[in-house]
Amino acid sequence: MRLHTAALLTGLAPMLFAGHPAFADQANNSIRFAYDQAPESIDPYFNNVRIGVIIGQHVWDTLVYRDPSSNEYKGLLAESWERIDDRTLEFKLRQGVTFHNGEAFNADDVVYTLNFVADPENGVTTQQNVAWIDRAEKVDDYTVRVISKEVFPAAIEYLSGPLAIHPNEYYEEVGPEGMDRNPVGTGPFKVVSNEPGKAIVLEKNEAYFEGSPKEQGPIETVDIRIIPDRQTQVAEMLSQGMDFVMHVPKDQAEQMEQVPFLQVVSGETMRIVFMQMNTLENSPAPALKDERVRKAIMHAIDRETIASEIVGAGARVLDVICFPSQTGCDASAAPTYDYDPEKSRALLAEAGYGDGLALDIVAYRERNQTEAIIGYLKAVGIDARLNFLQYAAMREQIRAGEAELTHQTWGSFSVNDVSASTPVYFKFEADDITRNPEVRDLLQKGDTTIEPEARNAAYRDALALIAEHVYGVPLWSLPVYYVATSDLDFTAYPDEMPRFWEMDWKD
Amino acid sequence: MTESTAFAAVAMPSAGARLRRRVFGHKSLVFGASLLAVIVLVALLAPLIAPYDPYAQNLLARTQPPVWYEAGTWAHPLGTDNLGRDYLSRMIYGARISLVIGFSVMVISGLIGTTMGLLAGYFGGTVDLVVTFLVTTRLAMPVILVALAIVAILGGSLLVVVLVLGFLKWDRFAVVMRSATQQVRSQDYVAAAQAAGASTPRILFGEVLPNVFAQLVVVATLEAASAILLEAALSFLGLGVQPPLPSWGLMISEAKAYMFFSFWLIAIPGTALALLILAINLAGDGLRDIVAPEGRE
Repeated sequence: MRLHTAALLTGLAPMLFAGHPAFADQANNSIRFAYDQAPESIDPYFNNVRIGVIIGQHVWDTLVYRDPSSNEYKGLLAESWERIDDRTLEFKLRQGVTFHNGEAFNADDVVYTLNFVADPENGVTTQQNVAWIDRAEKVDDYTVRVISKEVFPAAIEYLSGPLAIHPNEYYEEVGPEGMDRNPVGTGPFKVVSNEPGKAIVLEKNEAYFEGSPKEQGPIETVDIRIIPDRQTQVAEMLSQGMDFVMHVPKDQAEQMEQVPFLQVVSGETMRIVFMQMNTLENSPAPALKDERVRKAIMHAIDRETIASEIVGAGARVLDVICFPSQTGCDASAAPTYDYDPEKSRALLAEAGYGDGLALDIVAYRERNQTEAIIGYLKAVGIDARLNFLQYAAMREQIRAGEAELTHQTWGSFSVNDVSASTPVYFKFEADDITRNPEVRDLLQKGDTTIEPEARNAAYRDALALIAEHVYGVPLWSLPVYYVATSDLDFTAYPDEMPRFWEMDWKD
Repeated sequence: MTESTAFAAVAMPSAGARLRRRVFGHKSLVFGASLLAVIVLVALLAPLIAPYDPYAQNLLARTQPPVWYEAGTWAHPLGTDNLGRDYLSRMIYGARISLVIGFSVMVISGLIGTTMGLLAGYFGGTVDLVVTFLVTTRLAMPVILVALAIVAILGGSLLVVVLVLGFLKWDRFAVVMRSATQQVRSQDYVAAAQAAGASTPRILFGEVLPNVFAQLVVVATLEAASAILLEAALSFLGLGVQPPLPSWGLMISEAKAYMFFSFWLIAIPGTALALLILAINLAGDGLRDIVAPEGRE
């Protein structure tokens, strides 16, 4: 039946969308990429959406590059580095690199960029990416020192991820707004056109430096279209009006797999899904302050089944709120909770909610997963009312302490270290709605300890404490489904980053 | 029974018999009313006829096709939705939501609008001016926008949707009742009642209202149908009744993601919605034909 419908649709699609110009693909080495959200700014420091991270990695370079297959750090704008003391790293920079506008790359660019973003007055969107930097200092034209405020073991990881290097002269002149209007980096692609909220066109940087670990392939143009509606994206793919989409829900991806000219590639990502529970003193849901209620919620949800049936291939059920590959994400001391609706009902009855309990749940994406969770909660007598919002509105509710239950996801900015995930939600930061000082102190200890074993122990104990008191419900990791034309050859990496520079065509 | 009375009955049918013949001779009324009756019956008996709990999800049996597809089974005659809930059961319970909304909105807006229209049409003058002003003000606001704004602020729920639509949709009742009352007011029987010293409420409810009832019925059915559609639209936009309540509009919205490959998920609630609206409108039109004097033979 499915095959039949798919065949029918593929037959119909070109007729439905007739007149759509189809000049992409292999012939002129271009990829048309549809994405559902627009970045507020193209400057990678002034947005916190995935498409912004993707554009950032294509147009700019970082000092260090983490090879996505081996997780090995390689020199990108830096050729080598060494640790001078607990807080200082020294980088030898690559020579002969130029920015897209012709400006030569040297130590001044690194020093200016890092000092600019580290200054809280400049209002970088995600402060935890930059707040650890105390300052950057120039030693000579091609040597730079980066000094952290406190001992910060994850520094290289951040310098290989979100910390793109801007050209100092140009950035000083035009600032973040100018950088958004007319972006200039050193990366393998340059921005040739930018219509905010509609389309961004990237073109291969022919003058890209030799020997970069971001090796360039045959792709000449990446035409990024912002298409907010998922159904329109599917229609575009079926009519061959687009070549590449990502974050396709499992059900749609599986159905599109039947279409002969499309391929579906999926993989696990670092994005974790979890529920927060407001246990603050003035929580709008006092029931959540009762540990038995929180344990009842934990036991009520069949995470295994949701992960395998709805979330899809590559999803794994989490025991703690961080991604397993992140350094320090040690679940060995954390208690685990089985799916056990009987126990859940008993715990609710014991807590005095045997006749039912009404809670609000706020969510912003993967609505079908939220609805499945609501269904499981309903089965044990918890009426969860769905409040489905845009991310910014949800974040505001959480930060104001008005949320009760949340259905959250966090991609850690692809930083493979637990300091980028758990502390965001449990170290008294704005999004923390449980605020246990003991947890905070352990996380702080982990964030600032350099000796790996002691660091790991601190995180392990913090995660165990969170799990023991159920300050949140770890759910599953989110796989990403990419749908692309079948002749494109590419790899899906766990950091949710399609790398157009290395993509190729199948013969 | 003598022969003569039987003969007289044939020659001169009673009023009841004539009404019955008019009703049953009106094909679209019969069709609409029976369809509506079936839907109402299904909604009333939902717990008895629904094969499953409409909220019981089974993630291992998701998006199964209806029985007329090869892969369909009689275990789920209309298949299952994206969380493995039985679609037939959800459709049956969904009928309740649509009818509750249609009926409650009709009653609330009908009470407000009819009262205003009757008063304006009967008294005229200042009362009429005030009512006309209120109607104009109300007409200046597009229902769907105002409803969206209010629901977005208060949060969606069945009660909120009913109240918002009820307090927004009285305008047509008021306009139609006002002009109908104006016509009736100048009739001799109203003058006679006034001369006989009948009280104003007595005249309004005893003389005027029964004579504008035909128009009232038509407006009421139209408004019920449009309230059901509005609820579906609001729920489709995610601002109406909230999941997991099985509203037909919400079901269409949830099925949106599946429209390219499992289109029955949209087609089934869509068809049901269309049939319900058709039934209400046919029944309303038919009733008008029966009751209105110009419709009589």
